[in-house]
Amino acid sequence: MITTRRSILGGAAFAAALALSPAMAQAPTEIELFFPVPVDGQLARDMAALIKEFNETHPAIKATPVYTGSYDETLIKTRAAMKAGKPPAAAIMSANFLLDLRIEGEIQKLDELIKADGKNNDGFMGQFFPALYGNAVIERSVYGVPFHNSTPLLYINAEHFKEAGLDPENPPKTWDEFAAAAKKLTKREGDRVTRWGISIPSQYDTGGWILQALTYSNGGRWFNLDYAGEVYYDAPSTLGALTFWNDLIVKQKALQPGVQQGGAVTTAFLSGQASMMLNSTGSLTHVRNNAKFPLKVAFVPKNLQNQVPIGGASLVIPIGVDGERRKAAWTLITWMTSPEKSGWWSRATGYFAPNMNAYDLPEMKAFLEKNPDAKVAVDQLAYAKPWFATYKTVVVRKAIEDELQAVLSGKKQPKEALVSAQKTADEIMKPYVEQTALKLPTN
Amino acid sequence: MADTVLTSGLARPQAMRLAAWRPRRQTMLAFSLLAPSLILLTLFTYWPVIQVAWQALHNQIRIGGPQTYVGLANFAALFADAAFRKALSNNLLYAFGTVIPSLVLALGFAMALARSSRVNALLRSLFFLPVLIPLVAAASIFLFIFLPNAGLLDYHLAKLAISGPNWLGDPDIALWSIMGLTIWKNAGYYMLFFLAGLQAVPADAYEAAILDGANPWQRLRYVTLPYLKPTIGFVLVIGLINVVTQVDHVFVLTKGGPSDSTNLLLFYVYQQAVESYDAGRAAAGTLVMLALLLAISASSLRTLERSFGEREP
Repeated sequence: MITTRRSILGGAAFAAALALSPAMAQAPTEIELFFPVPVDGQLARDMAALIKEFNETHPAIKATPVYTGSYDETLIKTRAAMKAGKPPAAAIMSANFLLDLRIEGEIQKLDELIKADGKNNDGFMGQFFPALYGNAVIERSVYGVPFHNSTPLLYINAEHFKEAGLDPENPPKTWDEFAAAAKKLTKREGDRVTRWGISIPSQYDTGGWILQALTYSNGGRWFNLDYAGEVYYDAPSTLGALTFWNDLIVKQKALQPGVQQGGAVTTAFLSGQASMMLNSTGSLTHVRNNAKFPLKVAFVPKNLQNQVPIGGASLVIPIGVDGERRKAAWTLITWMTSPEKSGWWSRATGYFAPNMNAYDLPEMKAFLEKNPDAKVAVDQLAYAKPWFATYKTVVVRKAIEDELQAVLSGKKQPKEALVSAQKTADEIMKPYVEQTALKLPTN
Repeated sequence: MADTVLTSGLARPQAMRLAAWRPRRQTMLAFSLLAPSLILLTLFTYWPVIQVAWQALHNQIRIGGPQTYVGLANFAALFADAAFRKALSNNLLYAFGTVIPSLVLALGFAMALARSSRVNALLRSLFFLPVLIPLVAAASIFLFIFLPNAGLLDYHLAKLAISGPNWLGDPDIALWSIMGLTIWKNAGYYMLFFLAGLQAVPADAYEAAILDGANPWQRLRYVTLPYLKPTIGFVLVIGLINVVTQVDHVFVLTKGGPSDSTNLLLFYVYQQAVESYDAGRAAAGTLVMLALLLAISASSLRTLERSFGEREP
């Protein structure tokens, strides 16, 4: 009797489970993707289009893109969501925050997921440009998947070049040529400058990146690539870079004093009020589509060597995302970084595609044929080094950006500014350094 | 009757004894009536303040890491931090530079537009318009206005052959630019209070003043302003509180830069809390801000009470 009832109940439960399971499988796994828009352009619209396509091709997953502001704001919002116990399944994170997130134990190692796909870490990373490894692989584990990446570029208004008697086909390659061209391109009416030779963003977030680029091209190091507790703010190579930047204001008088916001730099360039700009390749599509003059792009001019930091962002999975959501996030991440999607995103935005295989696809070849300027950043990649990543990156970066801004505003001399920046940065990193590099065995 | 006993009872022992004789029910009633606000206040104001105070005495190197008691070290670090002192002095300048001008402007608008006519109604709406725009949106508009060279402001200055400064990029000017936005944003709001205040001035007071031969200036000085005293006091309080609590525009326009020249207290606390994740120092900064706000409200409430007391000459 009892047995029968139990078996009936069991049978019913089994039937119910059978009936339910297809329905369960149909209910899609819902995941959110936090994404920033760090440069000019229609990135938010493009992202919506990309995710829509993903959802259409993956009925078992429903991904929702969540716009989270700049890179810095995305970091803050992801941290807030994690603290509230609701981490997004995936986030597009500024590539240089990965180390910091790893130190704080906030993002997952992706090794297992890569293994589950039948690959090893080297094989998986092998599809991306080697210059990107430094901001994605930490202690031999993969923490981020490169999604879109950039380098600084020199943008040139070819019309102004001709007007000033310069050759747009032969853009400045060295600091000397660069400074001379900037001076020549500057136009005045009496004391009033009507056109600046050059415009360079120096607001928080981008100022440090550009100064890093100048320091690199001045033969210098910006931070310790192997250990997150050292920066070289008061090194001679940094001083040379900052002095060069400052000279564009005080000597050549070809750059407006004070701090330039990123948006203002692009506006000035597009409206013909600045003849050149140093800016991210991430803005390339936007600038190309809106420039009413022949546009040229070139490498960042060098002093001692061609070298720039990479920029851009990687996809990460925060701690606390597991089970089906983790799997779904991984599916989204691998889809978004595939050669096809990577290439599509690159053509839509101007970032270069981190996936090297993207450049073998016919649509990419055709695009580069038509837009040779899109190839410059990829070529420059051969000379790229990792982006500034340290303990408390945002704050340590702010330490030098505050001083950079003081110099550009004529408040401080480069030398004293850099000494003070170094002091502030060391102070911020002190607790970390004491717990790592300075911590010795006690017995 | 019961009211007087309840309120004055705390002060005098005799009344207290009397109160004790009252049925308990009355006290219960008072508390049950107070309960909703008391619970909300405790949950969302007092408890967080206690938490912040506790946090201010502790340090945490990593998020979720161990908390160690450090006494007043966070406060010491706070005042040793040049950025905090800069934020503090910026906030003081910002307070004087925005509250007084927007108050004077608002009073001017209100007096000019107090009389109702179709034109005045239109002008009043125009002055009030900035209030309706969210601060972040207003800041985004001003981002374009302040744009060097290509911006609206410099575009018009260029017509006069003046080259405008780098409005948000020059540390000597940036804070003043932001103050301009704040005044533009708040003056219309304060105007509303003054409009209401002006309606309360009895017409016969003006008649009497005119009969006495008072000129317009004297009428303003001896009739209008005394009647507006409570309004001025009130506007001062909300103005000063706004100065400490509104920072959205700083976030949009300058992120506190160049070199912290537009950093304000609340933004500094935000930086400490979310950029440096230094919860201890952020908490200490919050307490300093809280103390300032308390001082402002306490002193202005006293002034307000006094003004209300003098209301009837």
